[in-house]
Amino acid sequence: MGSPNVGKSVIFNYLTGGRVQVANYPGTTVEVARGKMIWAGVSLEIVDTPGIYSLLPITAEEQVTRRLLWTEKPALTVHVVDAKNLERMLPLSFQILEAGLPMLLTLNMMDEARRLGLSFNVSALERALGVEVILAASIRGEGLPELRERVIKYVAGL
Amino acid sequence: MSRGFRVDYGPTIEGFIARLLPLLKGDYPFHRRAVALLLLQGDQEIAALTARQEGPRVRQIQEIIKGAGGLSPPPASTIALARHRKAQRIAQAVMGKPLVRPLGGLLDWLTLWPPTAFPILALVLYYGLYRFVGGLGAQILVDFIEGQLFQSWVTPFAQELGARWLSPPLADLVAGDYGMVTLGLRYAVGIILPVVGTFFFFFSFLEDTGYLPRLALLADRACKKVGLSGRAVIPLTLGLGCDTMATVVTRTLETTRERIIATFLLALAVPCSAQLGLILALLGHSPLALGIWVLVVGTIFLAAGHLADRILPGPKAVFHMELPPLRLPVVGNIVMKTAARIQWYLIEITPVFLGTSLLLWFLDQQGLLQLIISALRGPIQSLGLPPDAAGIFLLGFFRRDYGAAGLYDLRASLSPIQLTVAATTLTLFVPCLAQAAVMVKERGVLAAMLIVAIIVPVAFLVGFSLNHLLGSLAMIGGLGNG
Repeated sequence: MGSPNVGKSVIFNYLTGGRVQVANYPGTTVEVARGKMIWAGVSLEIVDTPGIYSLLPITAEEQVTRRLLWTEKPALTVHVVDAKNLERMLPLSFQILEAGLPMLLTLNMMDEARRLGLSFNVSALERALGVEVILAASIRGEGLPELRERVIKYVAGL
Repeated sequence: MSRGFRVDYGPTIEGFIARLLPLLKGDYPFHRRAVALLLLQGDQEIAALTARQEGPRVRQIQEIIKGAGGLSPPPASTIALARHRKAQRIAQAVMGKPLVRPLGGLLDWLTLWPPTAFPILALVLYYGLYRFVGGLGAQILVDFIEGQLFQSWVTPFAQELGARWLSPPLADLVAGDYGMVTLGLRYAVGIILPVVGTFFFFFSFLEDTGYLPRLALLADRACKKVGLSGRAVIPLTLGLGCDTMATVVTRTLETTRERIIATFLLALAVPCSAQLGLILALLGHSPLALGIWVLVVGTIFLAAGHLADRILPGPKAVFHMELPPLRLPVVGNIVMKTAARIQWYLIEITPVFLGTSLLLWFLDQQGLLQLIISALRGPIQSLGLPPDAAGIFLLGFFRRDYGAAGLYDLRASLSPIQLTVAATTLTLFVPCLAQAAVMVKERGVLAAMLIVAIIVPVAFLVGFSLNHLLGSLAMIGGLGNG
């Protein structure tokens, strides 16, 4: 999950390998994509939630995403953020953490961030939030294998 | 995975959370602290879910939420601000290079700290709205496009063509008093476009600097008093340029309720640039008269908004916005956005002006305009104004420059009291036919008719009372001679 245009769907497609079903969330026109990830003998359902800015819903997309989180109690949420705009993206991370949802933070678009000369102290961020953090550039496939490893490790090793 | 992550929302919000937590005993998929936060921010869906689980404690919970709803600033903005600050701290601590903020953290902070934020706001509005939109747009560009291009080229050309090729009623339709070219197109392109175009530029600039959400946050408190959220600053400010445009922009508000209140206030008590120009011309020489006008219109704005807030059903406006950092905007982006908005304006609003001139032409052909004017004479006289002013009011509604010019011509024969009364009533009166048409388009026939049905009597009633009040005061104080 994450705000619009941060590369969620690219990551989703990578994890599911394209085994995807897209359907409207019941009673809405908001589309939710679901897919299966099968890796290292583990099979997981992956959900690509509509882009949201906050867990306090204003738009139909936000309403649907929150309902998904509320009713399906995910084993792990992967919060994908635009690394360039970390400051603006963190409030949603806070809300996921406050809700008590297990979270893996993915700083995406690292290629663009690096081009701007930005660097990140991953362990400091992990300490500040108390969750694992991964750097990725999903467009180039960077960081995605590691993301898959961590997801499997977290969910299967629970 | 995460234990103990916490944002401190300050004593007030934390106090409310502490009161809510012991009451939330049900089974929730989110931590109870998160549930409490959502409740305090006025989340309806969560409130309904809580009600189902908490049985006897529901009333207490609702009491607490209600209490929080009355806070100023509202919980939603306090919470958003606390998160924004914490995010800023963390991001600064973990990022190798400070965030891309050429404007710096100091300015960021100055625009939010009330003692400096309001003077900065005043400067932004003065230079942005008054000097740039009002000066460059409403005067220099209007003079050029309307005054030069239309008066010397387009209008004579259309009249020439009409006279040569068309029979009289049709020639009037193109280039008469209410012609599609001479009125419709001239208004849409010559008068409104420069104002709206410069406004769009200013607006896009504010948007790209990240200042707009700060403005909304600052204005939230004032807006709350009239049943709106800080977001409504945008259409209300735009109304000072063109109410018609602003009515379209009320779309950006979240709830139908807010949209109706904003539409109503725009129509009643937000004078557009054409009205402002007229009023300044009429009352500008008398600070006292101008002061009375500001006082009366301002009071009506607050009172009407407050009443609408009390009367209209539905949840109160909730304000929720992320605060982006301030940054230097890229000129190319601003130009692109402005161009996209102008295109949108031309497609959406120009037909309204063209349709309006078609309707006027028709009414004029049928002699109906004169009929309406004579019907207005009675109410106008009750305001203490000469009967001739009836035509001004109606024409002011249909064609603003006629109303303005008419009143300006009558100016010499009117006393300061009469001028103040006329200016006030004209401001409150439905601004123009194009705005009425947009109201119907955006809010539906019923709501638009209701709004007009409230505004017309209110305008006359206020004018009537003001006339009598000023009349009696003048006998004591001698304003009548001023």
